[in-house]
Amino acid sequence: MRVRYADGRAAVTHDATCEIGEDALTLRIGETSHTWTFAESRRADDGASGVILKRKPDTGERIFFAPDDTAELRARAPELFTARTLGREGRGVVIGLVAAAWSLAGVFLVGVPMLAAPIADHIPSRYRDQIADISWSQVDAVTNYCDDSDEAARILNDLTYRLMATSNVPQREQVWVTIVDAPFPNAFALPDNSIVVTDDLIALAENPDELTGVLAHEIAHIEHNHIMKNLIRHVGVGIFFDVVVGGAGAGQALALASVNLAGLSYSRDDESDADRRGLDYLDAAGIDTGALARLFDRFAEQAQEHGAAGMPTLFSSHPATAERAAAARARARAGRRPSLTDAEWQVVRAACGGGLRNQIAPEPETGTAPAQQPAPAAEQPLAGGEKPGAEDGKPK
Amino acid sequence: MTAEAAPEQPFKQEGRFFNVAGLALRNAGLTLLTLTLYRFWARTAMRRRVWSRIRTMGDPLEYTGSAWELFRGFLISLPTFFLPAAFVFYIAPLLMDPVSASWLGIGFYLVVVPLMAAARYWMRRYQLSRTRWRGIRLGLAGSAWNFAFASWGWSILQSLSLGWYTPAARINRARLLWDNARFGDQPFNFVDDGESPQKGLWWPFAMGWFAFPLACLVAFMIATAVAAGLIGAGMLTPATPEAPMNPAANIVIGVVMIVFVLLLMLLFWAPYNAAAMNRIASLIELDGARFRLKAKTFSWFFVSLASWLITIFSLTLLAPLGGFLRVRYVINRLEIIGSPRFAEIGQSIVPEGKSGEGLGDAFDLDMGVGIV
Repeated sequence: MRVRYADGRAAVTHDATCEIGEDALTLRIGETSHTWTFAESRRADDGASGVILKRKPDTGERIFFAPDDTAELRARAPELFTARTLGREGRGVVIGLVAAAWSLAGVFLVGVPMLAAPIADHIPSRYRDQIADISWSQVDAVTNYCDDSDEAARILNDLTYRLMATSNVPQREQVWVTIVDAPFPNAFALPDNSIVVTDDLIALAENPDELTGVLAHEIAHIEHNHIMKNLIRHVGVGIFFDVVVGGAGAGQALALASVNLAGLSYSRDDESDADRRGLDYLDAAGIDTGALARLFDRFAEQAQEHGAAGMPTLFSSHPATAERAAAARARARAGRRPSLTDAEWQVVRAACGGGLRNQIAPEPETGTAPAQQPAPAAEQPLAGGEKPGAEDGKPK
Repeated sequence: MTAEAAPEQPFKQEGRFFNVAGLALRNAGLTLLTLTLYRFWARTAMRRRVWSRIRTMGDPLEYTGSAWELFRGFLISLPTFFLPAAFVFYIAPLLMDPVSASWLGIGFYLVVVPLMAAARYWMRRYQLSRTRWRGIRLGLAGSAWNFAFASWGWSILQSLSLGWYTPAARINRARLLWDNARFGDQPFNFVDDGESPQKGLWWPFAMGWFAFPLACLVAFMIATAVAAGLIGAGMLTPATPEAPMNPAANIVIGVVMIVFVLLLMLLFWAPYNAAAMNRIASLIELDGARFRLKAKTFSWFFVSLASWLITIFSLTLLAPLGGFLRVRYVINRLEIIGSPRFAEIGQSIVPEGKSGEGLGDAFDLDMGVGIV
C-alpha cells in the first residue's frame, strides 16, 4: 500500500510503499527499505484520522497511513489499536490515583485532627502568645475597647474564677475576661486563654445566669485546649488543599482564618464537649443551668424568625440549638441564687456605654431565687480589673 | 519526496466542540474523584487531543509529553517550592515575630514574581519540546532567568506608567519568546519590519485603558437598576419589616456587577488584544516565511466571552474547553506568507528536558490546553 514516510532528519515526507507482514512491516522508499517490527512500533496519532506510526525509542521517523488504508494493519497488529497505545491511561493508574488522593486526604483531614490534641498540648507558650497576638489584632480590627468597662470586667473575672474552681484549667491566672464594643453578640476564647465578650451579647442576656452560662462554655474550650486543636486542624486542611490541589492561597487563607474571628468555630464534638463541661461548672458553682436553656430557646426562636443569618455566631454552630437547650434544661435546678447581684448585673450591663441596653432591659424576672446575694465564691480571684502584665488596662 | 503543494488553508484546527467537551467532562469527573491529582493526565490527554487536530500543511501536530513527566515535576516542586511556601505562609506567621514574618513574606513574594515568569518560560519550553510535526521537534532555547528578570523589569515599568507601558512590554516578551523558539534546527525570528513594533496598538490600548472606569460605572448602574427592579417586584424584600435587608439583594448586585464589568472589559479590550495578536504574528518569521493572523475585534470578543463563561460556570473544571475555543480561533485565522524550505530543516538540537511544569502547576499557570 502507499504511505508517506518522514525520516526524522528533515521536515518533509517521502512517498513509500509498505508491506505488512506477520510481526513487522517493510517500507520501501526508492532503492532503500526499512523493517519496523510491531513490537518497536507505537502510535503517534490519537485515533482521530489516519494512523501515524513512530518507533520506540523515538527517532523522529514517522509513517503516515491514509485513513482508508488501516484495515490490514489493524488485522495484523491489533495491539497498535488499543486505547493504551492511543495514549489513554489504564484503569490501574486511575485506581492508584484515587487511592493515593484519598489516602493523602485521610492523613491530612483525619490523621492531623487526631494528632491535633497531643500537638496542641506541646506547643510552647511563647508560640501560643504569638498566635494570640494575631487573634488580638483581628479582634482589635472589628471591635473597640471600652474605657468604662473595668469594673464590669472585674465582676465577670470574679465570676469566672468561681466557675473555674472545679475545673482543670492549667493556668487559671491567664484566663481573663475582656468586654469589647462590637456590632454582634458573641463570646470567644483566644489562644492566650483570654475570653472576649461583646457588649451586644451582654445586651441580649436577660439575666446574669445566661451570660454566666456562656462564660462557662468558653472556660471549657480553654480547659480542653480546643482553640489550639482547632488551629492545627485548619493548618492541616490548608496545607492539604495547597499541596494537592495546587496553587498557593486558598489553603493559606483557611489556615489564617482559624486564628481570626471568622474562623473561631469549633467542631461539633468540641462544642458538645464544651457544653457538657460548662454545665458541670455551673452545677458545681450552684448556678441554675435553666437560664442557659432559656437563652438557647430565644436564639432558636430568632433563628426561626430571621433565619440562621440572624443568629449570634456563638450559637450558629452544631449541635442544634434545641438539643443544647434540652441538655441545659435537663440539669436545671430551681431555687438557686443568681450568679450576680442586681447591683453587679447593672454594672455589667452599663459597660461600653450600656445606656441603650438599660433602656431596653426587660423587667426583672420573678419567681427566681433572691437576687440580692450571689452564690458564694469558691475561689478568690485576682483583685482589680486588669490582667497581670496588661498595659493600659488592655490584656495582651 | 512529496512535493509541497500550497494548501488553501495552511493551518487548520479540525477539533469539534462536542468531541473536546466530552473529553473535558471526563477529565473533570476524574479530576474531582482524585481530588485533582488526575490533572496531569487530564492535561496530557487534552493537549494530545487539541494538538492532533491542528493540521499544518495537511499534517497534524503531535503532542509527545507524558502525564508521568508532569507528575514528576509536581513531586519535585513539593520539597523545592511547597515546603518553603508552607513555612512562609503557615508556620512563620504563627511562630515568628510579626515583623520577621512580614519581611520573610515580602522576600518570598520578591522571589516569586520573577520565579513565576521563569516558570512560564520553562512551561513553554516543555510544551514546545513535546510538540512535533512530521517527526521534527520544536524547542525553546535561551535562559528562563533572563526572561524572568527582563519580564520583571517590564512589569515594574508597566506599574510605574499606570499600564501605559503594557503594549511595549507585550511586544518585548513576545520578541524574547519567539527569538528563542525553534522548529527543528531552524530558529523563528521576531523581525524588525522597519515600523514601530507597537504599530497600531496604542489607540486600541487607550480605548481599553479609559474604558475601565467607564465599565465599572456602567456595571454599577446596571446592577443597581436590576436590584431595584427585583426589590420593586417584591422578590428581594425581607421576611418581616424588622428583619435586615435580604442578603440576596447584595449578592444580586455583586453578581450583576461582576458579570457586566467582565462583559464590558472584554468588549473594550478586544480591539487591543486582537491588534496585539495580529501585530505579533506579523513579526514572526521562519526561514523567510512570514505569518499573518486575521483576528477581529467582535469575533475575538465572542470567543473570549464564551471561553470565560465556560471557565467560570464550570468553576474552572471545563477551562480547557475555553482554551480550545481560543486555540481554534487563532489557528483557523493564521496564514503563512511564503514557504519555509522544509527539506533544509533538520531535527532539533535543543535538549528536551526530563520533567516539566512543576512550578507552572504550582502557580496554576495553565488551565489545561497549554500556552503554545
